[in-house]
Amino acid sequence: MKRRDFLKTSVVTGAALSLNFEGLQAALSSNTMNVEQVPDMVAVMGGEPEVMLDKALEALGGIEKYIKKGQKIVIKPNIGWDRTPELAGNTNPKLIKALVKKCLDAGASKVTVFDHTCDNWQKCYETSGIADAVKEAGGIIMPGNDEKYYKEVSLPGGVSLKQAKIHESLIEADAWINVPILKNHGGAKLSCAMKNLMGIVWDRRFFHQNDLQQCIADICTWQKKPVLNIVDAYRMMHQNGPQGKSAADVATLKSLIISPNIVAIDTAALALFNQVKKLDMEAVGHLGKGESLKLGSTDLKKINIKRIKI
Amino acid sequence: MKRTNYLKGLRVTLAILFFVPILLYFLDFAAVLPDSMHVLLHMQLMPMLLGGMIGLIGFQFILAVVFGRIYCSTICPAGVLQDIINRIFCLGKKKKKGIRRFSYHKPMNVLRYSILGVTVLAALFGFSGLCLLLDPYSNFGRIAASLFRPVIMWGNNLVADQLMKMDNYTLFHVTISTVTTSGVIAASITLLIFIIMTVFRGRLFCNTICPVGSLLSLVSRYSIYRVSFDKEACTHCGNCEHTCKAEAINTKDLTIDASRCVDCFNCISSCAKGGLQYRYTLRKGTVNSTSETATVDRMEQPAANSRRTFLATGATIAASLPIVNTLAEPKKHCRRNRNRLPLTPPGSISLERFKDKCTGCQICVTRCPSQVLRPTGLEYGLDYMLKPRLAYISSYCNYECTVCADVCPTGAIKPLTKEEKITTQVGIAIFHKGKCVVHTEEKDCGACAEHCPTQAVHMVPYKGTLTIPEVNPDLCIGCGGCESICPVRPMRAIIVEANEVHKFVEKPKEEEVKEVEVDDFGF
Repeated sequence: MKRRDFLKTSVVTGAALSLNFEGLQAALSSNTMNVEQVPDMVAVMGGEPEVMLDKALEALGGIEKYIKKGQKIVIKPNIGWDRTPELAGNTNPKLIKALVKKCLDAGASKVTVFDHTCDNWQKCYETSGIADAVKEAGGIIMPGNDEKYYKEVSLPGGVSLKQAKIHESLIEADAWINVPILKNHGGAKLSCAMKNLMGIVWDRRFFHQNDLQQCIADICTWQKKPVLNIVDAYRMMHQNGPQGKSAADVATLKSLIISPNIVAIDTAALALFNQVKKLDMEAVGHLGKGESLKLGSTDLKKINIKRIKI
Repeated sequence: MKRTNYLKGLRVTLAILFFVPILLYFLDFAAVLPDSMHVLLHMQLMPMLLGGMIGLIGFQFILAVVFGRIYCSTICPAGVLQDIINRIFCLGKKKKKGIRRFSYHKPMNVLRYSILGVTVLAALFGFSGLCLLLDPYSNFGRIAASLFRPVIMWGNNLVADQLMKMDNYTLFHVTISTVTTSGVIAASITLLIFIIMTVFRGRLFCNTICPVGSLLSLVSRYSIYRVSFDKEACTHCGNCEHTCKAEAINTKDLTIDASRCVDCFNCISSCAKGGLQYRYTLRKGTVNSTSETATVDRMEQPAANSRRTFLATGATIAASLPIVNTLAEPKKHCRRNRNRLPLTPPGSISLERFKDKCTGCQICVTRCPSQVLRPTGLEYGLDYMLKPRLAYISSYCNYECTVCADVCPTGAIKPLTKEEKITTQVGIAIFHKGKCVVHTEEKDCGACAEHCPTQAVHMVPYKGTLTIPEVNPDLCIGCGGCESICPVRPMRAIIVEANEVHKFVEKPKEEEVKEVEVDDFGF
């Protein structure tokens, strides 16, 4: 009997030792106790896209907090250009692949990916590596090349843009995740989470005709907001955006930012952008306009940011 | 009593083997078929004549000398299309009203050789408009591209919509954008002519209007193998004459006009007695077998008759010379605005060269992945009618794409490498600052610079944080990225103006890749 007791004890001890008391220790040392300390934003640096996504979602308390079992999920990357992943014109396919998998693992009934591309859509889907990534992960890649796929919605909160035709997959979705790539942009100055919403609408010409910066903020007022924004800054196009010319336009930052707050995440992304190239907040007009429309805050001090370096 | 007609079987098989792939190649809106299938188009006579492909022309010549006009029954898609129309017409009809509705007619030699002569002369003088209008392959191309293709696309959209409801996106909704009014009108007229002529007179088009048919008839009348009568077997029932789509069989005199026979071999099937045979025939119409069965040959037509025909043809051609001359003359005075030139596809080298070589078959229009090539109407004059131009209405010429040049059967768009393509300047973007939204509304835009693949259009500081486009003509290749996306209407603020002769620009300089070290978020 002694041996059995010994084994029992060791198993229990082992299990106890493997428990993590970091949170408790931190609470004890600072003498404060944070209940459910979930950050508003998580920024990760130094890993591969899928690793950083893991860390970031873990810090946010898991993707299950944002999507529920049986839901129809849409992931909206930036697939605007007929460019390979190395040229950073489109969202990193590795990130998209990992995210589709995560959604399916979390019980999503269906994960759809699309973008209203600028170049020929088939070429964009193929060259970006995203079509293959989505298929490998078990998601559905849907075209966005025809007006047929878009349905009119009203934007009562918009200033210039009062209604828009939005891709039907989003209209039918239970939740959607906005996955832009961070880059320089000739017109909007910065292309990130808010600018990525231009790819959910059919008529972009209206945007350019009627104050681009205002329209970008306006489209973000659509009542069905992304449950998460995930900024891909693994590679970042710091000049000649949004299309880019060559690898000389790209800086490798190996970073990822994740937050439900679209204005805050773009403000943070802008700060990251400024590590490579100077760009004033004032020039990126849609940030201020988004804040005025109460879409989020540009004051990063007000929010709880968790920074992780790998 | 029916005899197995292997020759007809072979003809039909060959026709299917040529026709179906060519038709599918034109209809393939989703670019499923490989671009390399364009080799099929190189077997078409008019493109090979305009492209000056000596080897292939020689091959076709030998083919016609040996076998007669098998080109017209197998290789030519317009010929096969007429056979299909004929077949459809015959469906459910009694033999007399259907397949045996034809009867012998004399050849319209003056007309057909005049048309041929005028077409050749016009082409030599630099007006290829008649080649474009009369070439059977190009006419077929226009019918396929402007009539059949949109119907198929529309059908695809119906099915795609149903599949979409089941979350199946193997088919997708396609926008029908390359069909223009002029293209549809031209194709409809041709198809109507085909139908009317086929229904009433069989291969009348091929034997009077088609310059390719007339050219081949000059050779096929001397062909070594041809259909001829076996006088002993013939019972003068007339079945063959009524079956002949070319209306070339005269059962009274027992002659077959080899210049009009398209080698369809229907007559052989129609004869229960085996009175018609496709065989080796000597020049003067004597058959090498039993001399008794020799045919009276059309070559023995009264010499006076053929001389009269020749003179009449000559006179007609001579009379039409002034018209040819006017058509061929460069119409400088017709251009209201010198800047309004059509943008020709990269690889076409110059407007004049392109006008001379293009037959408007629309294969480039159907294969262009960006759907930027469109058939032109009369807006750039008669000599540019139905030829493709770059129309930056809603799309632009893809930076490294060379598909149109790869598929062009006439060499009107000369094949070019990617390197050559990205440095070929078909036109230059002209920026009209007064119309730009950055200037008029004082708001950010930059859509044009966004789409510029060479950064020829780039943004420069304007007022405050605003930036405004600027064009560097030394980098611009005229791809139309800027024009296609410019939001200003009705006239856009940036418009590509054509180069009459294409130029070459420097390749955008490769910047050095600088390693950027960032180890902080900056927030």
